[in-house]
Amino acid sequence: MRHYENLVIVKPTFTAEEIQASVKAVEEVITSNGGEIAATNAMGMRKLAYPIEKNERGYYYVIYYSVAPAAIAEIERRFRINEDLLRFITIKYDSNREVKAWNELVKKANKAPEAPKAEEAPATEAPVAEAQTEEAPKAEEATEAPATEAAAE
Amino acid sequence: MSEKRKYKKRYCKYCEAKVDFMDYKEVASLRFSLSERYKIMPRRLTGNCKRHQDMITVVIKRARAAALVPYTVSRKQVVTAPFENLK
Repeated sequence: MRHYENLVIVKPTFTAEEIQASVKAVEEVITSNGGEIAATNAMGMRKLAYPIEKNERGYYYVIYYSVAPAAIAEIERRFRINEDLLRFITIKYDSNREVKAWNELVKKANKAPEAPKAEEAPATEAPVAEAQTEEAPKAEEATEAPATEAAAE
Repeated sequence: MSEKRKYKKRYCKYCEAKVDFMDYKEVASLRFSLSERYKIMPRRLTGNCKRHQDMITVVIKRARAAALVPYTVSRKQVVTAPFENLK
């Protein structure tokens, strides 16, 4: 068993229920391939940095799970077939350092109060989910870096 | 030139903060190593050490694939404050 993380971007044209259904389907793909979901994190509807398939926004959903490495190929194959997903990203957490980070991310995702899952599809401007999902364990350098940069300019 | 002067003293900010792992989902923390046009800043300008530069490169590329950070910003599609809109 190895630790993984999957980020999926669901199409923004869906209604809230349809989004939940496709997220369920994604989780189902992982569990049916022997994966154990440790934590999930709904980042909510947010603007994409660049249009994907002419969509400007997308529903972000992160799943932390552990599964046998051989199953990843099948999981990714199923994701590729799934037309609800604009994009998916699989991250492997292998080295000791990464596993530690994975554990922390899982703890954080579990600790965060269930992020408001039902997000009104495309129309909402500022999703509420971002507030608590955005900052993560190593935010120190985040706060420091832009400040120093601005000062030097 | 103006970009060069932004960085005076060269030291690795990530080493100072003892960063061991970077998460590609924290977009704000990637901003330091990105230029105005969202290119990855070279080490000679930011002063990052090799280890952390390698880490940030991977993380930025992941964030780009996840559409959290743009690959490039062209003159046609300039966004004044892209990170504010992302939230």
